[in-house]
Amino acid sequence: MNILFLTPLFPLLGAIVLAFNPRLPTRLAGLVGVGSVGLSALVMVWLNVAFYSGADEGVTQTLWQWVAVEDFRMGFSLYLDGLSLTMISIITGVGFLIHLFAAWYMREDLEGGPGFARFFAYMNLFVFSMLLLVLGDNLFLLYMGWEGVGLCSYLLIGYYFESEHNAWCAFKAFIVTRIGDVFLAIGMFLLFAQFGTLNIQELLRLAPEAWGKGDLMAEVAALMLLGGAVGKSAQLPLQTWLADAMAGPTPVSALIHAATMVTAGVYLIARTHVIFELAPMTLELVGLIGMVTLLIAGFAALAQTDIKRVLAYSTMSQIGYMFLALGVQAWDVAIFHLMTHAFFKALLFLTSGSVIIACHHEQNIFKMGGLRKTLKLPYACFLIGGAALSALPLISAGFYSKDEILWLAFDHGHTWLWLGALFGAFLTSVYTFRMIFIVFHGREQIHPHAGRGLAHHVPLIVLAVLSTFVGAMIHPPLENVLPAGPDGQYGHNVQLMLEVLAAIVAVVGVGIAAGLFLGRRRLVSSLTKTKEGDRLWRFFNSAFAFDWFYDKVVVRPFLFIARLHRRDWVNSLMNLWPGLAMMFNGILSDTQNGRLRWYAAVMTGGVIAVLVLLLLL
Amino acid sequence: MMLPWLLLIPFIGGLLCWQFELIRPNTAMPRWIALLSMVALLVMALVMWVSGDYSLSQVVGNTPEWQSEFRLPWIDAFGITFHLALDGLSLIMITLTGILGIMAVVCSWKEINRRVGFFHLNLMWVIGGVVGVFLAIDLFLFFFFWEMMLVPMYFLIALWGHESEGRSPVSAAIKFFIYTQASGLLMLVSILGLVFMHYTQTGVFSFDYGILRETPITGVMSWVLMLGFFIAFAVKLPVVPLHGWLPDAHAQAPTAGSVDLAGILLKTAAYGLLRFALPLFPETSQAFAPIAMTLGLVGIFYGGVLAFSQTDIKRLIACSSISHMGFVLIGIYSGTLLALQGVILQMVAHAFSAAGLFMISGQLYERLHTRDMRQMGGLFGRLGALPGFALVFVMASLGMPGTGNFIGEFLILFGAFDVVPWVVVIASGGLVLSAVYSLILMHRVYWGPPREKSTIARLDGREYAMLLSTLVLTIALGLYPQVVLDISQGAMHEVRHWFAVSPSFAG
Amino acid sequence: MNLTLSHLIALLPLLIVCATVIVVMLGIAWRRHHVATATLTTIGLNAALFSLLAVLTVTPIRVSPLLLIDNYAVLYMALILIAGLASTTLAHAYLEGFNDQKEEFYMLLGCSVLGGLTMVASDHLLSLFFGLELLSVPLYGMAAYAFRTRLSLESGIKYMVLSAAASAFLLFGMALLYAESGSLAFADLGARLTEGGGHASWLLMGIGMMVIAMAFKLSLVPFHLWTADVYEGAPAPVTAFLATVSKIAVFALLMRLFMSAPVTDMASLHTTVAFIAFLSMVVGNLMALRQDNIKRLMGYSSIGHMGYLLTVVVASDDMALLTTGIYLITYVATTLATFGVIALVSSPWQGSDVASLKFYRGLFWRRPYLAAVMTVMMLSLAGIPMTAGFIGKFYVLATGVEAQLWWLVAGVILGSAISLYYYLRVMVMLYLHPTEEEEYDASSDWGQRAGGIMVILLALAVLILGVYPQPMIMLVSGATLG
Repeated sequence: MNILFLTPLFPLLGAIVLAFNPRLPTRLAGLVGVGSVGLSALVMVWLNVAFYSGADEGVTQTLWQWVAVEDFRMGFSLYLDGLSLTMISIITGVGFLIHLFAAWYMREDLEGGPGFARFFAYMNLFVFSMLLLVLGDNLFLLYMGWEGVGLCSYLLIGYYFESEHNAWCAFKAFIVTRIGDVFLAIGMFLLFAQFGTLNIQELLRLAPEAWGKGDLMAEVAALMLLGGAVGKSAQLPLQTWLADAMAGPTPVSALIHAATMVTAGVYLIARTHVIFELAPMTLELVGLIGMVTLLIAGFAALAQTDIKRVLAYSTMSQIGYMFLALGVQAWDVAIFHLMTHAFFKALLFLTSGSVIIACHHEQNIFKMGGLRKTLKLPYACFLIGGAALSALPLISAGFYSKDEILWLAFDHGHTWLWLGALFGAFLTSVYTFRMIFIVFHGREQIHPHAGRGLAHHVPLIVLAVLSTFVGAMIHPPLENVLPAGPDGQYGHNVQLMLEVLAAIVAVVGVGIAAGLFLGRRRLVSSLTKTKEGDRLWRFFNSAFAFDWFYDKVVVRPFLFIARLHRRDWVNSLMNLWPGLAMMFNGILSDTQNGRLRWYAAVMTGGVIAVLVLLLLL
Repeated sequence: MMLPWLLLIPFIGGLLCWQFELIRPNTAMPRWIALLSMVALLVMALVMWVSGDYSLSQVVGNTPEWQSEFRLPWIDAFGITFHLALDGLSLIMITLTGILGIMAVVCSWKEINRRVGFFHLNLMWVIGGVVGVFLAIDLFLFFFFWEMMLVPMYFLIALWGHESEGRSPVSAAIKFFIYTQASGLLMLVSILGLVFMHYTQTGVFSFDYGILRETPITGVMSWVLMLGFFIAFAVKLPVVPLHGWLPDAHAQAPTAGSVDLAGILLKTAAYGLLRFALPLFPETSQAFAPIAMTLGLVGIFYGGVLAFSQTDIKRLIACSSISHMGFVLIGIYSGTLLALQGVILQMVAHAFSAAGLFMISGQLYERLHTRDMRQMGGLFGRLGALPGFALVFVMASLGMPGTGNFIGEFLILFGAFDVVPWVVVIASGGLVLSAVYSLILMHRVYWGPPREKSTIARLDGREYAMLLSTLVLTIALGLYPQVVLDISQGAMHEVRHWFAVSPSFAG
Repeated sequence: MNLTLSHLIALLPLLIVCATVIVVMLGIAWRRHHVATATLTTIGLNAALFSLLAVLTVTPIRVSPLLLIDNYAVLYMALILIAGLASTTLAHAYLEGFNDQKEEFYMLLGCSVLGGLTMVASDHLLSLFFGLELLSVPLYGMAAYAFRTRLSLESGIKYMVLSAAASAFLLFGMALLYAESGSLAFADLGARLTEGGGHASWLLMGIGMMVIAMAFKLSLVPFHLWTADVYEGAPAPVTAFLATVSKIAVFALLMRLFMSAPVTDMASLHTTVAFIAFLSMVVGNLMALRQDNIKRLMGYSSIGHMGYLLTVVVASDDMALLTTGIYLITYVATTLATFGVIALVSSPWQGSDVASLKFYRGLFWRRPYLAAVMTVMMLSLAGIPMTAGFIGKFYVLATGVEAQLWWLVAGVILGSAISLYYYLRVMVMLYLHPTEEEEYDASSDWGQRAGGIMVILLALAVLILGVYPQPMIMLVSGATLG
C-alpha cells in the first residue's frame, strides 16, 4: 500500500505542470490532464487488487508531520479503508472517464481558443483535492481537501470568466458552501476541544467512551458536521447554489456537481457515523433534510427548461436520497447509491454535454426535440441513464440502490420518510422522462451534428454499461467500516412487496410523463397558461423561491450595511478631532488681529484672571 | 555579536544609497546597494536560524532565555542600556523583515524613478527601525525605534505616494504619523510610570525588560499603564476604532511602502503585545482579555464589511488587514500555546499574502494607471500569469487550506476554542466574510466582460520571480508550517508561561 | 564685603561682555567696519565663554548679595553665550545685505547678553529686575532694527509697549513682596513664603505679578499675543536671539526663584501655574496649525514648548532642575538651527524675510543638506527619537510622571499630537516638487560660510545628543543650585 500517495500525487503534478504552462498545445495539455488522472486510476486499480488480496483493513500512510503544537498533532497522513477505497475508485475511475470526455468536449467548445490547459489544471487540482478529502486520516486534512474542492468548483463554474453571470454563479457557489464549511470548522474545534485529537479513527473510538447516546455535546458536534455536509452536498437550506453551478462547462457539472464533490457531505457523515449514532435527534434531522430536499428538487426539476438545470435538480434530489439513507442508518446503502449515482449521473451529464455541443450550445430543452434520429448514441445513453435515475426495475443500477434505501427506511421504522421518498421516486421518473421526451421526441427544431471520436464514445459507453444492472453488481467493501444499522422489523415478504410497489410507481411515472409530454402537450400548456398555473410553474421553476428569500433576508441587508459603511463611520467620528482642532485654530487666529490695544487688553484680562484665580483657589 | 550588525546594515546601506545619488544622480546603484543590504540582512538572519537552538521550551526561573544578547551602557542616570536580545520570536520577525525588505526593493525597481537614492534611504531606515523594534528589550530603546521608524515611513508615503479619491498622500502620511506618534507617547508615559513604580519599590532605575517584568503592579495603576501599552499597539495593529489611518496610508503609499506597512509594520504591534503588554501586565491583561477579544471580533467584522465596500483595490486589501488582525488579537489574548503559535503563523502568512496582493495591485497600477476597481473587470484573459498569482493570494487571504493563512487562522481558532468557545464561534463567521470580500476583489478586477480586447504588458522576469517566490513561501508555509513553529515555540511557551502564572505574582 | 580675586574670576564673563560692548561702541565711533565689529563681538563672547572654565574653579560663590554664581548659573551662562554667538554669526551673514547702519546691532546684542548673564546669576529681586531690563531694552531696538520695513518697526514697538507693561507688573509684584517680607533676597522670600505669614494673600499677589511678568517674557498663554507678530516682524537673527537667550535667562531665573520658594507649597499658585502650562501647550499648538509663515509658526510653537517646560516649574523638584537644563539645551540648539536656516535662505534677499512656507518648497532638491538640517530640526521640535528634542520631551514626561501631574502629561501628549501636524507640513514642504514660482535659495556656498557651518554643527549636535545624551545629562546634573 505504500504507493497510496501516488493517487493524489499524479493529478497534483498534472495541475502544477498545466498551471505553469498555460500555453501548452491542446494535444499535449490534454495528454497531461487526462494522463495524470489515468495514472492515478491505474494506481487505484492496483490498490484495489492489493486490498482484496490483502488484509481487509485500514492502512495509514504518514507523509510528513504537518502541524505539531503540543497536543495538536496533524500528520499529512492518508488513510485507506473500504470506504475511502470506494471513494477513490469512483473519483479516479469516473473521473478519468470524464476527463477523457472533457478532452473532446473542451476542444469542441473552445474551438482553438485559449484556456484548454487552464481547464485541465483546475480539473486535475480538483481530483487531487477530492482525493485528499476522502483519504485524509484526520479532519484537518479532510478540511483541506474540502476547501480545495470548493475552490476548484468555484474556478470551474467561473471558467467562462468573461460572462458576468457565470462569475456571480461561481461567487454564490463558493460563499454558500463556505457557510457550510464554517459549521464544519466549528465542529472540528468542538471535537478537538473534547478529545484532543482530530484523527478520525481515534475520534470514532473515543466518542462513544465519552458521550452517551443523545448527549448535548454529541448532538451539537453532529449538527455542526451536518452543517458542513448540507453546504457541500447542496441540501436544504444551503441548496441554492447547485442549480446556478451549471454555468460551468458540462464535464465539470458531471465530475464536480454530480459524481464527486457534491457527495462529499454524504461521505463525511458516513465517515463520522459513530458521532451521528450518538446523536439520534440530529440523525433524524439528516433523514428529514434528505426527504424535504428530494421533494423540493423533484418539483423544481419538473419546471425547468434548461437541460442541465433539470439534471442539477435531479442530482440534488438523489443526494437527498443518500441523506435519507444516512438518516435511517442505512450507511452502506447510502454509499452504494452514491456509487451508482456517480455512474448514471456522470453518464447523463456527459450525454447532455454531447447533446449541447451537437445543438450548437443550445441548452433549452424546448428548442431541441426529435433528436433521437440524429443523435443515436446520446439517445441510448440518455435512456439508460434516465432509467437508472428513475430506478426502472431490474435493468438499471439505480433500481438496486434506491430500492434498498426505500426498503430500509421503511424497515427501520421511518414510515413518513419512506412515503416521501416513494413520492419522490414518482416525481423522479416523471421529470426524467419529461426531459427525454421533450429532447429526443417530437418535432425536430434544430440541426445537430453528432459528436465523434474515441474520447467521445468510450466514456459514454463505459458509463452506460455501468449504469445498468452491471454497475449494481459492484459491491463496495464497506462491511468493516460501516455498521449494518439497527435490526429491521419486517420480513422478506414485505420487502418484496415494497420493491414491487416502488417499481410500479416508477413505471407509472414514466407513463404519466409519456401522457403529458409526448405529442402536443396540450394539457400542460393549458395548465401553465392559467394564472395559478403560471404562478405555480414559476414557484417550482425557482425551486420554491429560496433565492428570492435569501436575497431579501441576507444579501440585501448585507449590501445595505456595506453601502452605509463605505464612509467608515468610526473613522468619520475620529475625523471630528482634526475638524475640532481646525475650528479652535480659527477662533484663536481671530484673537491675533495685530492691534496693540487689543493685545494690551487681553493681557490685562489675563492678569486679572490670574490674580483672581490665585486668590480664589 | 551579530545583533548590532543586523541593525547597522540597513542604516548604513540607506545612507550609502543616498550619498551615491548625491554624487552620481540617475544610477541604479542605490537599488543594488539596497538589495545587497537586504540580502545581507536575510542571510544573517538565516544563519542564526540554522545555527541557533530555539526549541527549548522549559521556562526556567525569571530570567528570560535569549539566544544571543548585546548590551552597551547608554543613559546611566536612568539605567537605560542599549540592550539587544534575540529569541525565536524576534528571529522570525527579523527574517520576515529581511524577506519583505528584498521584496520592497525589487517591487519598486521600476515604480520609483524619482529620487531613487533618497527613496531607498527611507526604505532602508524603515527596515532598520523595524529590526530595532524586534531586537530591543530595553523599553527606552524599544520606544526609540518604535517612533523612529515612523519618520522614513512618513516620507515614503508623503513623497512617493499616490493620490487616492482626491486625497493627497501628504495628508494620509500626516494622519498615519499623528495616530502612531500620539499613541506612542501614551506608551512612553506608561513606560515611565512603570519605571518609576519600579524605582519606588526598589530604589533602582531600570528600563530593562527582564527586570521590569518582575515589578508587581496592582490596582488602578496597572490598568492605566497596561492601557497605555495596549493603545499604542492597538493603533498600529490596528484595532477598530483606532484604524482610521490604515486605509489611507496603505492606499496612498507606494507599493514598497504598502508591502512593508502591511507586511511588517503592523506586525510590530502584535510583537509588542506578545513581548511587552502580556508579560509586563499578566493579570491585568487577563482581566482585559474579554474586552480585547471583543475588539478583535469587532475588527474582524468591521474590517470585513469595510473591505467589501471599497472601490479602490489597495484600500480593499488594507481593510482586509484590519479583519485579519482581529484574529491575531483574539489569538494573543486567549493565551493558549496553540493560539499563540497560530498568531505567529498568521502574522508571517499574512505578511506574504498581503505583500503579494499589494505587489499585484502595484503592477496593475503600473499597467492601467488606476486603482479603481470599477474601471477594471475582465482582466483575467489580458494579463498573462498575473491573475493566476492574484488568485492564489486572494485564496490565501480568505484562508484557503494549503496556504499559511489557513494554518494561522485555524490554530488561533483551535487554540482559543478551549478558552472562549463563543468568541471562536462568532469569529468563524468572519471566515465567510473574508471569502466575500476576497472573492469580490477577484470578481471586480478579473472576472466579467473585458473592457478591451487588447492584451496588456505581461509580467517581466523580475515581476514573475517576485510573485513566484512569494507564492512559494505562502504555499510552503501552508504545507510545512513547522519550520516556523519550531522556532517560535520556545518564545511562545514563555509568553504563555508569563501570561498563565500571573496569579503567583499577586502577593 | 571685600572683592577678592575669586570674586573677580567669578565675574569674569560679565566683565568680558561688558568690555566687549564698550569696545564695540568705541570702535563704531572711531570707524564703521562691519566685519571688524562682528569679529570683535565674536571674540568677546568667545572669551567670555572660555572664561567660564575659570569660573568653574571658584563656584559656588556669592558675589555681593545680588549675584550668586554657582554651577547652575554657569551652565545657563554658557548656553546664553552660545546662543549669543550663534545669533552674532547669523546676524553677520544676514546684515551683509542690509543697506543701512549695521554695526550698532552688535552693541545691542552684547548688552542684551549681559542682561541675560546677570539674570541667570541673580539671587535677588534687584539684580533680577536689572538683568531683565538690560536684556529687554536692547531687544526693542534689535527687533526694530530693520526699521525701514514696516513689520520690523511694528514688532519693535509692540514688544516695547507690552514689555514695559509687564515690567510694571514685575515691579509692582516686587514691591508687594518687599512690603510683606522686608527683603529682596530669594532665600528670605522663600522662607517667608513657607512661613505663610498673616498677609498671605498680599504675598500671593506679589508673586503672582512676578509670575505674570515672566509669563509674558516666556510668551505663555494668556500673555502670548505679541509672540507671533514680534517673531514675524523682527529680522531672523533677532528672532533667533529672542527665542533663545531671552527664554533661557527668564526660565533659568524662574526656576531658581521657584526652587527657593516652591510653588508646590502654595496650592493656588501651583494650580494656576499648571493651568497656564496646560493652556499654553494646547493653545500654542492649536494656533500654529494652519500657519503658513514659518517665523510665526515658530512663535506659536515656542508658546507650546514653554508650556511643556512649565510642567517642570509645577513639579519643582530635583528632577525638574535636570529637566530644565536638558530641555533648554535641546530647545535652544533646535531653535537656533531653525532660524539659522531661515536666515541663510533669507539673507541674500532684500526686504522682509523669506518666511512664507511656499518658498521652502522643494528646498531638498536644491540644497539637500540645508533641507536635511531643517528636517532634523522639525523632528527635534516634534520630539521624534534620534533627535535631541526627543530627549527633552522624554525628560519633561518623566518629570510629569514622577510628580504625578497627569493633567499636564496629558497636555504634553495632546500638544505634541497637534504640533505634529504643522511640523510635518513644514518638513514635507521641503521635499515636494518645486513649483514654477520664483525660488528663494541660500547662496550656493552657504556651507562654507560661518552661518552655514554653525547650522550644520548644530544639526549634528542635535542628532548626537539625541542618540547619545549621556554627556549632556552628566553636564546638566552637575549644574546644581547654590
